[in-house]
Amino acid sequence: MSAQQERIVATAVVPLDFTYNYRVGQYVERYIKGLGQKKIMGVKCPGDASVIVPPRKYCGRCNEIMNEWVEVGPEGTIENFTIAHVNLNKGVVEKADTEYIVALVKLDGATSLLPAKVLGVSPVDVEVGMRVKAVFKDPVEDSLEDLSHFEPAG
Amino acid sequence: MQRDIAIVAQAQVMTDSLDIPRERMLFDLVKGLFDKVGITRHDIDGFVLNSNDFEVGHTIANVFEDTPCGAYMKDETHVEADGMWAAQYTTMRLLSGNYDTALVVGNSSGASTFRPYLVMDYQLNPTYDRQLGILNELSTAALQARAYMAKYGAEEDDFNEIAARLLRNAALNPYAVRSKADATAGDVLASDYLYEPLRQLACYPFTDGACAMILASGKRAKELTDKPVWIKGMGNSVDTYYVGERDLATSKSARMAGERAYKLAGISNPAKQIDVAEVSAKFAYQEPIISEALGLFKEGSAGKVASKGLADLGGSMPVCPSGGGLGAYVFTANGLVRVAECVRQLKGEAGEAQVSGAKTALAHSQDGFCAQHNGVMVLSTEEG
Ligand SMILES: [Zn+2]
Repeated sequence: MSAQQERIVATAVVPLDFTYNYRVGQYVERYIKGLGQKKIMGVKCPGDASVIVPPRKYCGRCNEIMNEWVEVGPEGTIENFTIAHVNLNKGVVEKADTEYIVALVKLDGATSLLPAKVLGVSPVDVEVGMRVKAVFKDPVEDSLEDLSHFEPAG
Repeated sequence: MQRDIAIVAQAQVMTDSLDIPRERMLFDLVKGLFDKVGITRHDIDGFVLNSNDFEVGHTIANVFEDTPCGAYMKDETHVEADGMWAAQYTTMRLLSGNYDTALVVGNSSGASTFRPYLVMDYQLNPTYDRQLGILNELSTAALQARAYMAKYGAEEDDFNEIAARLLRNAALNPYAVRSKADATAGDVLASDYLYEPLRQLACYPFTDGACAMILASGKRAKELTDKPVWIKGMGNSVDTYYVGERDLATSKSARMAGERAYKLAGISNPAKQIDVAEVSAKFAYQEPIISEALGLFKEGSAGKVASKGLADLGGSMPVCPSGGGLGAYVFTANGLVRVAECVRQLKGEAGEAQVSGAKTALAHSQDGFCAQHNGVMVLSTEEG
């Protein structure tokens, strides 16, 4: 029988609906608690002195535990950005209602860049080097979303 | 390398909409390859299958691949990462001396079964990045493209020129699922922005397909084909997952993967010694970052390479005469396809896309966000 004759006409639609329960660990917990006090906490590596936000226990380069907590920000500098014209909704591209800015922000005192949305500035005016400050949810909810976005500083 | 290993033959199938089951696609492809070489499944000592559980929606995705690929009761194993890791693993098994022949098969139905962008969403760190919804395959790629532009003063138009060349090359590739024989940078510019500077025509098309290759030890390879393609070197290197901790404008891990492969292959001047390269780029902008890291062009030279046509079919360093990832991107198996395209070149079977006199080829693969993990294989028409 040829492939042509064997053409399938039906598609089996098979949903997989399940939930994973991850332990976030003490570092992300402490980060979230910091956000609840409108503080952004990072960790410093004893090996190469890098300051990482969000905090993570291990430095890949040094293979060491990063154990010194430091407060960073709340201001920082846009190091890189893109203008989004779409959203990805479960892997499907959907046109965004309005264009928006996704940036990598270097918080004052950090060496890593934090991915974040930047509001309060038009996509045509945003530029690398722009100073921004963190905007927290009010009231805070002790969640990752407490660090809502960034906006131009000053 | 400790033992001469060669690729005997390759086979590919690709479509933008599979209308037969995945298993049937695999059976036709592998059986056809056995027939072409004149062997049966009993002539194969070891099988390495390559697919992605999450994409297939089945833990141990190869469970239903074994039978159509001829692995019943055979020595078989599975590789979940990009297909080049399957090819490298297969090569290592042959290097061990315990196997003389091996089959490697990679497949994906990323166009019809599941969405590649969602597979990538599920590569995100679940306790942080996945909670926030800021990073995804397209936003991270756009940030990487911007990093290259900022560091080297490149323009979006340079990337659009690369995309146009790849779409033109794809028109010469019978396996491509998207192509345009007369594509120009203007065509790419006219396609929609996703995240700036990524435009739709500069991103990989969702593809269903598979790629199979037979590898063998030197003596056996020469019995099976009069044109063995010799594996001279291979290497890989993995960068950190965290895009905020990498210099996205360059690829240190691609450079290190290349250096490891070049050392084995005795390559000291890749731009001179390599005749054709098949680079795994999911987006046009990735091609310069990777090919520069591999020493094929000067750092930051995307604009010059495009305007002088250096990477064109007739250029000094042809890159992706197949059209690369912009003509077809078999998610998971893409790196294996790049190897197979080098095999077509070195056997002189690339038709209109043939780089004349090609003797040494480089295949590259990537996995992860912004090409976090890179692999390289160096292939040659010359034994030893
Ligand atoms: Zn360190």
